[in-house]
Formats: sequence, structure tokens, C-alpha cells
Amino acid sequence: MNEQEILAKKIEKGDFQAGGEASSKLKDLLRKLGVESALIRKITIVTYELEMNIIIHSLGGEIRALVSDKAVRVIANDNGPGIDNLKKAFQPGYSTASDEVREMGFGAGMGLNNVEHYSDKLKVESNADKGTIIQAIVEL
Amino acid sequence: MQKHSVLLKEKLCEGCTNCVKKCPTKAIRVHQGKATIKEELCIDCAECIRTCAYHAKYSRTNTFLELADYDYPVILIPPSFYGQFDGIKPEEIHRALYKIGFKEVRDVAVAAEALSWKTKTYLKDNPGMFISSSCPVVVRMIKILYPELLGHLLKLKAPVEIMAESIKTELREKGLAEEDTALFFITPCPAKNTTIFNPMGIEKSFLDKSIAVDLVYQEILKVLDEEVNSNDDKELITNSTHSDAIDRDKITPIPYKGFSWGQSEGELSLLDDDLSKRTLSVSGIHNVKDLLEELSRNNVKGIKYFELAACNQGCVGGVFNVANPYQAKHNILKLLDEGKNMIEQDFSKYNYDLTKDLKAIQIDRLDSNMEKAMKKLIQLEKEIDLLPGLDCAACGAPDCKTLAEDIVNGRGKRSDCIFVLRQQVEDLADKMSELAHALPPVMRNRK
Repeated sequence: MNEQEILAKKIEKGDFQAGGEASSKLKDLLRKLGVESALIRKITIVTYELEMNIIIHSLGGEIRALVSDKAVRVIANDNGPGIDNLKKAFQPGYSTASDEVREMGFGAGMGLNNVEHYSDKLKVESNADKGTIIQAIVEL
Repeated sequence: MQKHSVLLKEKLCEGCTNCVKKCPTKAIRVHQGKATIKEELCIDCAECIRTCAYHAKYSRTNTFLELADYDYPVILIPPSFYGQFDGIKPEEIHRALYKIGFKEVRDVAVAAEALSWKTKTYLKDNPGMFISSSCPVVVRMIKILYPELLGHLLKLKAPVEIMAESIKTELREKGLAEEDTALFFITPCPAKNTTIFNPMGIEKSFLDKSIAVDLVYQEILKVLDEEVNSNDDKELITNSTHSDAIDRDKITPIPYKGFSWGQSEGELSLLDDDLSKRTLSVSGIHNVKDLLEELSRNNVKGIKYFELAACNQGCVGGVFNVANPYQAKHNILKLLDEGKNMIEQDFSKYNYDLTKDLKAIQIDRLDSNMEKAMKKLIQLEKEIDLLPGLDCAACGAPDCKTLAEDIVNGRGKRSDCIFVLRQQVEDLADKMSELAHALPPVMRNRK
């Protein structure tokens, strides 16, 4: 089966109210496709972390999900400002989130670690001018 | 075979869609002016019973009539039942049930106390987060809507099943024939009734019958009223000929501590103090659903154990109860002062473990073939775009998305939507009007 885009959702900067909508929608769609629940769990967690990253850290962006019979590919694409130090960003506990965001229970510095943990392949491209593209793949 | 306990009185149903909109699993549709429940989706939460203004949704249990069929009927009282009474002592309730004709009156709270001990050990021995599996509605909801969380359910039986199995063993050891005995359970909700004929995690329930709380409540009040009216001393009644079954030895110690299981946060209150900041209690089916949604995206951290109850305030919120959940909760909290310690018993005598895996019920895949499912998914998105998105439920489905799904699955049509239908009528009217004016040229100037 050819890869097919099943989700494309714009995410606004700071829009906590909409946080979780992309991952919930994707979960619902994957269930309709009959994807196994353990895999859906991984994809849901990855997608939720990625959408919250866009809300908390970026200037806004988009979450897309593409499905083939082999894998689900979640792409988080934002408009900047880019990740300063990629190595640091993957250190557990490292976070650039503001105190305000931390008070809301986010920004514990585990986001990207979780994404890495629950996905089978992960590609991060970040550029100070263009923003960040994260591709997380969960194999079916 | 009957799979659920929530039923419909068709005659009373007005087709109003209130239940359709409240159902947490979207199991109800109104077709031809009558509600129908999709069996495979029903979790017996009784939200539709609570919502229906016409009392068309109801649930049936056994009654006291069945009592006469057995030589040795035993009744099991759930902790929440004590919340129905204010100022009536547990001992009086026991006595009334003996008078009604039960040979043994037993408290599920006894097993609840034991299960608290078992749960503590279980949580110590097993890393990770766990969800209580005591509420059958929550278990069914996870099986259907959140199968990814099945591994987090505590693999232990509900207190009532633990108690029932232990009593069955006792009865056998006493030499009573299986067919002469029956275990009746006073059920606060349809879901617990369902687990008797449709059990989860075990081969077969050890309960035989259940009687709804409201029926038992009335009967007990009647018995206690008669006592008062007869002007006799209670001691005398205990020894009267009507109650040969009631000897003092039969009054077992009252497991006050275990009564706390009848209301929300009660199960948690019996766990260790060092767990107390790492537990959370959530009640009410829609709240529980919200929480499960958050858990499925790994968004509740730092909690080791969740006590989840489908009914508001826990089992005291069950739909068969008489007292309102808040009063009942208060009544139980008051009773808790009566007993400072758990009753003495051997915790190791019970069988706690579930004997069967809890399996996912896959209901919303569009096709068993992924490619075909994908085609249907694309069609589904198109159907959703065609519908107005008002979620008015006038089509008989709870919302536009669900109608779109029904259409894709061949169980509904676009014109079920009154807005689409109106548009179709308008288009047709335009077309008719257009045709009416499009007379053949020869007729044009006749007038």
C-alpha cells in the first residue's frame, strides 16, 4: 500500500487549549485502519509530545501523519526559531521551557527523549532560520 | 444470549436522542423513532438510564421471587449498600435479611479489606502504573476504547467475586449441594449484574443471582417497620419462631473499614501511606473517559495507582441506589468511625488472581484489510466534510462524525441529515421550477 497522508493539522504557538487534538485525531484514524493498539499507543505518545513541542517552543507549525502498510510517519514541522543545541535538547531533564509553562506541568525536559524512546526511527533537522523538522517513524 | 443489563421499553421511547448524545461509547442510535443499543459497544454504564426523561431505558435484575427456589440462599452485601441508610445499624440490616429468608448474610467488604492487602503487595512487586479493575464499566470501557491501556489494569478480581468464590468453597465444605445453594448479590448497578452472565477475566462468575438495591432497600425497611410496630423488644424477635435462622453466632463481625470501598477514594484510603501521594481517584464515566484519554497519551505522570469508578462518587452513585450519592457517601463516612481496624482474617485463603486475560474488543476498524480500510477512511473524511458539523443528533447518531461512519459502513445515508435533506429538497425545487419554466418553444406564445 502506498504511503498516504491521513492527517495535516496546523498548530498555533501557545495554543494549549488545542494541545492533544492532533494526537487524539490520529489515534482515532489509526484505530479505524485497524492498527494494533500497542503501536497506536507509541504513535499517540510521540505525536502528543511533538504537538506540545510546537505549542511550547516554536512560532507555530504543523503536524502531519503518513501511513503505509509498513509504518506510520509523523512529521512535525515548525516555523522557528530552531533548536540551539540538538545534543542538549536530547539530554533528559534539559528544557528551555519558561517557568510559566513549567507551572502548567510541561517542560520537564523529557519530550524529545520520549519521542526517541517510542519511535523506531527519528530524524531531526533544525535550522535557526527555517525552524525544525522532526520525523518520527513507528514501524507496523 | 443476553450480554447486557441495560434494556429499552420501546413503548416509552420518544426517540428524543438525549441518551444517544450522553452515551460515552456512542452505542445508541435512534432509528424509526426508537432507540437501539449496539450490543458490542454497550458497557452497562447506565448513563442512558440516568438521561432518559421518559424512563424508557431500564435494567432488570432478579427479584425475591427466586429466593424460594433454593434451600440455602446466601446474600452478599456490597459496601455501598450501607450508604443507603441513615441511622440503621449494619447489624439490623443483617437481621432483616435473615428474616427475609437468607440463610447467610455476608459482607463483600470482608473481601475488600483482604483485597486492599493484596493490592498493596501487588503494587510493591510490580513496576509501572496500574488501574483498579474493580469497576466492571471501567474495565469494559478500556477493552473497547482504550485497549492500549489493558496491560495497566490490575490483574486481580473485584471484591465481590473474591468473596463469592470463598463462600462457595465454604458451602461445599459444609456439605451443601451446589443446586440447593445460590449466591445473591445486592447490586448497585446494571454492570455488576452483567458480570454474572458475561464475566471478564474469569471463566465463570461465582455469583448466581443479583437483586437491585432499590428492591432490597424497600424489603428491609418493611421488615424493620414491622419490628417497630410489633412493639416487641428486638431481643425477643431474634428468638421468635419467624426467625429461626437468626442466632447470634451468625452475626459476623462488621467489616467497617472495608465499607470505604463503597465510595470514591475509599479503595485508596486502605492502601499504604507511602502510596497516598501517588494515587488518584476519578469518578463519573465522562471524567473517567477524559482521564483514560490523557493516560493513553502518557500525559499523567507520577501516579502509581488509579481508582476509577464509572458512577459519580463511586458505587454509591450506582443507578439502582435509593439515596443520592452525596448523602450515601456521607452515611458511609460516618460508619467508618465505628471500626478502627480491619477484621481479623487469613488473607491468604482467597483466590485473588484473574484467571483469563482481559482482551481488547476491536470495534471501530473500517475493514480487516488495511488498504480497503484506507479507502473507506478517505471516503469517511469526504462524508464528514459534506455534513454540517452541528452535531444536532437529529439523524439519530450522536454527532456528524458518527453519522459519516455509519454512512461509510452502510448503516446510514446522507439524507438522514435534515440539513442535507433540506438542501436536497431545495435543489429539487429549483430544478422543478427550472423545468416548469422550460416549456417547449411551440407553447411559449400561446397565452
